Amino acid sequence: MSKPSTDRADKQRIAEELEPVVREAHALAKKLGLDPYPVNYWVVDYDEMNALVAYNGFQKRYPHWRWGMTYDQQRKQRQFLGGKAYELVNNDSPAHAFLQESNAMADQKAVITHVAAHSDFFANNQWYGLFADEPNAARMLASHADTIESYMDDPEIDREAVEKWIDNVLCLEDCIDQHQPFSTVDDWLDETPSEADINEKLEELELSEEVLGQVFDEEWLDQQRETEGVASFPVEPENDLISFLRTHGMGYDEGAEKAVEFEDWQREIMELLRREAYYFAPQKMTKVLNEGWAAYWESIMMGEEGFAAESEFIHYADHQAKVLGSPGFNPYKLGKELWEYVENVTNRREVVEHVLRTEGVTWRNFHDTVDLDDVLESLDPDPIVDRVASETIDQLDPEDPRVDAAGLERAKAGEIDVDRFPWKVFTYDGIAERHYSLAKPQNRGFLSQLTQNDVERIARYMFDDARYTSIEEALENVDYRAGWNRMYEIRESHNDVTFLDEFLTQEFVEEHGYFTYEYMETTEDYRVTSTDVADVKKKLMLQFSNFGKPTVVVEDGNYNNRNELLLAHQYNGVMLDIEQAHQVLKRVFKLWGHPVNLKTIVKELSENDIEVARRRDSEPTPEETGKLLRYDGENLSITDIPWKEVEHLAATDVDYDTKPDDWLA
Amino acid sequence: MGLRDDIERYREVGEDRRQDLAEFIQYGDLGQSLPDEIHIPIKIVDLPAFEYDQRDQGGVGQGQDGAPDVGEPVGQPQPGDGDEEGEPGEEGGEHEYYEMDPEEFAQELDDELGLDLEPKGKRVVEEKEGEYTDITRTGPASTLDFDRLFKSGLKRKLAMDFDEEYVRAMLKVDEMDPESVFRWAREENIPVSRAWIEDAYAGLTNGERSEYESVEAMESVIDRTPTADRIRKEGIEDIPFRREDERYRYPETIEEKERNVVVVNIRDVSGSMREKKRELVERTFTPLDWYLTGKYDNAEFVYIAHDADAWEVSREEFFGIRSGGGTRISSAYELAAQLLEEYPWSDWNRYVFAAGDSENSSNDTSERVIPMMEQIDANLHAYVETQPSGNAINATHAEEVDRHFGESESVAVAYVTSPGDIVNAIYTILSTESNE
Repeated sequence: MSKPSTDRADKQRIAEELEPVVREAHALAKKLGLDPYPVNYWVVDYDEMNALVAYNGFQKRYPHWRWGMTYDQQRKQRQFLGGKAYELVNNDSPAHAFLQESNAMADQKAVITHVAAHSDFFANNQWYGLFADEPNAARMLASHADTIESYMDDPEIDREAVEKWIDNVLCLEDCIDQHQPFSTVDDWLDETPSEADINEKLEELELSEEVLGQVFDEEWLDQQRETEGVASFPVEPENDLISFLRTHGMGYDEGAEKAVEFEDWQREIMELLRREAYYFAPQKMTKVLNEGWAAYWESIMMGEEGFAAESEFIHYADHQAKVLGSPGFNPYKLGKELWEYVENVTNRREVVEHVLRTEGVTWRNFHDTVDLDDVLESLDPDPIVDRVASETIDQLDPEDPRVDAAGLERAKAGEIDVDRFPWKVFTYDGIAERHYSLAKPQNRGFLSQLTQNDVERIARYMFDDARYTSIEEALENVDYRAGWNRMYEIRESHNDVTFLDEFLTQEFVEEHGYFTYEYMETTEDYRVTSTDVADVKKKLMLQFSNFGKPTVVVEDGNYNNRNELLLAHQYNGVMLDIEQAHQVLKRVFKLWGHPVNLKTIVKELSENDIEVARRRDSEPTPEETGKLLRYDGENLSITDIPWKEVEHLAATDVDYDTKPDDWLA
Repeated sequence: MGLRDDIERYREVGEDRRQDLAEFIQYGDLGQSLPDEIHIPIKIVDLPAFEYDQRDQGGVGQGQDGAPDVGEPVGQPQPGDGDEEGEPGEEGGEHEYYEMDPEEFAQELDDELGLDLEPKGKRVVEEKEGEYTDITRTGPASTLDFDRLFKSGLKRKLAMDFDEEYVRAMLKVDEMDPESVFRWAREENIPVSRAWIEDAYAGLTNGERSEYESVEAMESVIDRTPTADRIRKEGIEDIPFRREDERYRYPETIEEKERNVVVVNIRDVSGSMREKKRELVERTFTPLDWYLTGKYDNAEFVYIAHDADAWEVSREEFFGIRSGGGTRISSAYELAAQLLEEYPWSDWNRYVFAAGDSENSSNDTSERVIPMMEQIDANLHAYVETQPSGNAINATHAEEVDRHFGESESVAVAYVTSPGDIVNAIYTILSTESNE
């Protein structure tokens, strides 16, 4: 991508223009409580942006056709959107973010505010800490690229073979143990329980021989020792397939038709790709949360704090609408909505808790004694904070915790334009009050949606319930920061699964029109099946747990006592894509060197079942059957196996099917 | 290395993974393609992974104005979670196409079916100027071949030049007179004229005329200098450029013959042509059209629908039309003959493809269609019988045509009862054309 020098001059000019914008955005972000990594911005052109997107926001990645594919798709998709603004920031310290030179100033500002929030999330969410506190990602990925390039250039190694090997490993990139802190394969090996462990564990119990003999009969113990010994490993089903294969697997020599030890480069590539999988895992685990977080703060900064100049606002709103308003399910929109919901719920709870502490107010009489409209009115932010202007600036007290005394001084000296940037004279407390969610026009109905049930639930955990003599007094003590404070706690500890699990409510699902759908065998189309929060949650869990993929573990590394590999699909009621699973097995074979097997459960339906159900105007109930998929190096096969062999894999208490019961035959 | 390489590798990998051509023709989604850009689905784009069965997984949707009612259809599954960096809501990733232009398609089909159709150039569309290798005697000054003129002049000079001193010395020999010197010069091939000798002799004094006693005495004093040496020594004062030596360069004329093709697609749209038959026709004709588009420089298509009557339609309509009525295939050939007048046989390659279920009104085939097929000049006539359920009684058109033309190299008859026959039919048709 060689560029004529005028281009460089252009970029230079744009970069200079943007410098103060970046500085201001980060000052504002800090005021709002965000704590991002330092961010370096790069001005790039459209092609470079697409290239960076293909490389996940980095300058250099190992050679692989998949980046080319992403680039191609990216280019096509973005043509469709007119090649507009794009937020790209990588998880690194310092972070690197990219601005497209052809974007309008409004877009650049939106990107910059968005990026600040992402980088805050990277820096502070604990799931990112599982990989490393300071990821040093650009250097790591570049060094991986160098290593793999050197293998490709090595005349002793076939370039195609390297690429194929990468393909084989990448099929399993989501088969890692993403809830564990990252460690190298060697360390991982040390942490894995071994055959000696059973005796150790028994010793730890510190039981007398006599008791031991009574609790565990010899036969069982022998069996345990045996299965954990040479005959069968791993002891526990292993989630980290790449580590397991890297440690115990073998290559396959096509010519000699036998398993052979891995080459060094093969082992090294497995290690590198595994490290990258662990590095990217947190981003995959926090899509809803992280994108919602960025969208939330972007809109606070751009819209509500006037970071977009008035002339830019229409342009910005239009862009926002395009991104968030596209029809259909949009995880980013879900994230933003849920964050806003959490903010509202927390603020509402804060109000209710205070009101309930007023003498004479209980959850029973709450709705009779409290006029929620009056409450809402008295919760409106203090006008001198909410609508500060150069004329009213003298009313601000530098001692007020909401006021940034230094900022105020500079504003008085005329160094700060308060009318344009009012946030500069406030602290976090003051800005939180300015953005108090319940007082916002779109949320004014939220407080009054409160039901007696809600109030009772809140009251249940309260003890100190007669502190205030009047509701007015209670409301004066309401903390305007409650919503934001809670949000900051959540962004530290949650991932998508825990976030959705904890905060999705019926109220939210109804307000935003979420529903579940299923495929109907009889009508051969997808139909709406439920609007119940429990069902919506189930489907979302399916979509966001384990990267939205089924869980497949190593069950036995010496299956049938013939060095074969046995994988097991932990069936949660939704079956595998069998065709793809077969294709994966073919590649796993290359990493194991001996035949590979996979136990799973499939749902079977005959044409007749469907026909019968169709006539009854209901849905057929499929039969669940145990299956063994196998690849022996030449042939793929799928055979029925007895139920007892898969029984342990079947989920007992989770059912991801949301079809109403009366639809079933 | 770098992204450029990755893109290149992706193209190669994508090509490997695109749907097999035969499979695509038989079962693929032809509708995604444009006449000049064929889209072949790539079977597995990305690497496989352990994934949920998409249908069994179901999903979550969001209504525009509240949730829809339970039981309502939702259309295709809504896009799932975006890829890590994907723009939300723009997930089009399910369908990935390998793009081919018709030339590549034709090439692939040739490879796949072992065909080798060399299209014939017909109409002379252009007399193009080739290299300036031809020569004429007149022309603009800028095309004057000066090298050639100079060389001719030089040759002429060499041919005309002689050692004047030597000839003059010969005249100074006592026993020589102009007459004898001239004879001597002729014998010696010295290009000197009689007049020059006379003039030179006249210019000599009497004493000079007898300066040397004999030829031998003169030769001992004067050396004869060969022309080349003399020119080298003295240089050329002037080259005798002559008008007759001028040559002008002129471009060679190349006759560019355009490889034109007109394809007439005829389809029976009568009541008996139900959906399955219709689809089989589309699957057979569409690849043929692409193939010929790819093979020829310029391809024109004529679409004729017929039942008992025939009418011309557009491509968009062609595969969709259904009408009632009976069938008279000759009506289509009458129209074809008429429409083909615009594409004279001397200038155009012509293909006439007809398809139907072989039903025809009685005697129409033998009395009218076959004579017309013989009459209409074409590289190839073909009839494709689409009969998903085997032969129907009275449906004998294909058979009659087949019997009449036999192994003719300009008439092909193909039978398609299921998608599995299509590739064979295409082969039958394209391999029939004689390549003389």
